[in-house]
Amino acid sequence: MIEKDKLKDYARKLMFEMNEEEYETLQKEFEVILKQIALIDNIKGIKDVKPMTFPYIAYKATFREDEVKQEIDAEEVLSNTIHQYQDQVRVPKVVE
Amino acid sequence: MEFTKMTIDDLKQQLNEAKISPKELYNTSLALSKKAHEKLNIFETIIDDFQMEDANSRISGIPYALKDNFSTKGILTTASSNILNGYIPVYDATVYKKLKEAGAVLVGKTILDELAMGGTGTTGHTGTVHNPWHMDRLMGGSSAGSAAAVASGIVPFAIGSDTGDSVRKPAALGGIVGFKPSYGRISRYGLFAFASSLDHVAYFTRCVKDSAILTNILKGQDEYDMTSLEDDNLDYTLTLNDDIKGKKLFYFKDICDPAYYPNSSDETMIETLTKFQETLDKCRKLGFIIEEVSFDKELLNAIYPTYMIISCAEATSNNANLTGIQFGPRGEGDSIDEIMLNARTKGFSELIKRRFILGSYILQKENQEKLFLNAARIRRLIVDKMTELFKTYDGLIMPASSNIAPKFNDSSDRLSEEYLILENHLAIGNFGGFPSITLPSGIVKEMPVAINITGPVFGDKDILNIAYKIEEILGFKGLVKDDFYV
Repeated sequence: MIEKDKLKDYARKLMFEMNEEEYETLQKEFEVILKQIALIDNIKGIKDVKPMTFPYIAYKATFREDEVKQEIDAEEVLSNTIHQYQDQVRVPKVVE
Repeated sequence: MEFTKMTIDDLKQQLNEAKISPKELYNTSLALSKKAHEKLNIFETIIDDFQMEDANSRISGIPYALKDNFSTKGILTTASSNILNGYIPVYDATVYKKLKEAGAVLVGKTILDELAMGGTGTTGHTGTVHNPWHMDRLMGGSSAGSAAAVASGIVPFAIGSDTGDSVRKPAALGGIVGFKPSYGRISRYGLFAFASSLDHVAYFTRCVKDSAILTNILKGQDEYDMTSLEDDNLDYTLTLNDDIKGKKLFYFKDICDPAYYPNSSDETMIETLTKFQETLDKCRKLGFIIEEVSFDKELLNAIYPTYMIISCAEATSNNANLTGIQFGPRGEGDSIDEIMLNARTKGFSELIKRRFILGSYILQKENQEKLFLNAARIRRLIVDKMTELFKTYDGLIMPASSNIAPKFNDSSDRLSEEYLILENHLAIGNFGGFPSITLPSGIVKEMPVAINITGPVFGDKDILNIAYKIEEILGFKGLVKDDFYV
């Protein structure tokens, strides 16, 4: 069974917390999922296959015109937070 | 004909003949929205204000619903997650913009499984979405609200997103059409990313022709989505009636025939598969050549874990922007870290956290090769095999689901082998970016069942043509539960 401490470490890196009961559910779920995942280990010759990261290469790298565009105003950006200072999102002091 | 059964074309005709105005159409849809929402829990937001741009298109004046993971400037967009409570976007998704410019009228933003990560319609932050065919049964997800909006006849079409089967599965459970065009056919700009290499814009309609109409309007390259395809400048409605005689379809051997399950106690599954075989016979009579094809069982069994690995890994990374700092409810705390930790702890449900942790586990340095890259290798094996088959066949035809919509408390073993493949094969369409369409094919125990047809990438036109001809012989166009509003 996957160690609870490992799961807690992942949660910490992902910036959230879970309670003990939730970790226990997750431990059990991991057992099932890892069994499922083991199915992919059995495929023969898999190491020789190139991983596929997109369905196909759809994009062309082209240069666009170097035009100045005003996409959104500061006022709009700030419309979703009450924590503002001048035209910026206010956060606690980072540098002591 | 009643409003709830009308297609885009039917409604457009009424508008053209001035039998009804766009405002009256919207009011009808709005009244139904409120009624159905009370019973089924469909909407995050009902738009109680008629807004229509001056346009003349095949969908101008037609009401529709939009999944709440599409950005809509000035309209609350939550992706059914508490982490986005109160979030009002400052830009429009390209899909929404195109629909607005075409004169379509938004009636509501619909509930989804939280952040589109689920297949049941039960995990949105405002509760469970019910199936209009039976209140005790799932609508399926993640595009649950959009599916319910079309299945209950509120709107003739609704937009969803499809990462594993999130439009095509609920379409099956609700007796409506669900179409996912080729990857890149439609811009994903403004669709909240779940798993970018698998995410597609997709939609629910009452008939195949309406799916073709929508594809015409929504397709095309977008400077804001580098994976979007150049417009092929085809009108997909013009080829719907093309002759299909001699077209070849295949289905997976050992999976779709009730005879393979002699000891099954699942009567409804057997009936669903029997219905599928009857559908194949009807298609053969129409002129299709349909064959059973062997496909490596190990690969088919690997579809679900491959999907889980890729999607959870991509989702973990994609959702790192949800911090509660620039938007969404801010957490309490004296440092940025504390603020983020508290916002994310409160904002995500337990299920989402579990998925993210799985994604994080997969992406750990020591697991990347064994899990993430192996899944990406299996993805290629499956896609290559399908592409090879598409050289001989015009499409894959399969039951869209092994069964009717499950009950909310259904405890059947959905991880058994037959379920593992029959319930998850639609993800093949996402692995390869293949165009894929679900359409109703029968009624089992007073619930709809459906077939799915998937074709080679960029073959959208042909898949719509095949589905259109099959729809004609099956006779379930505009299917709706007759006594829903009684």
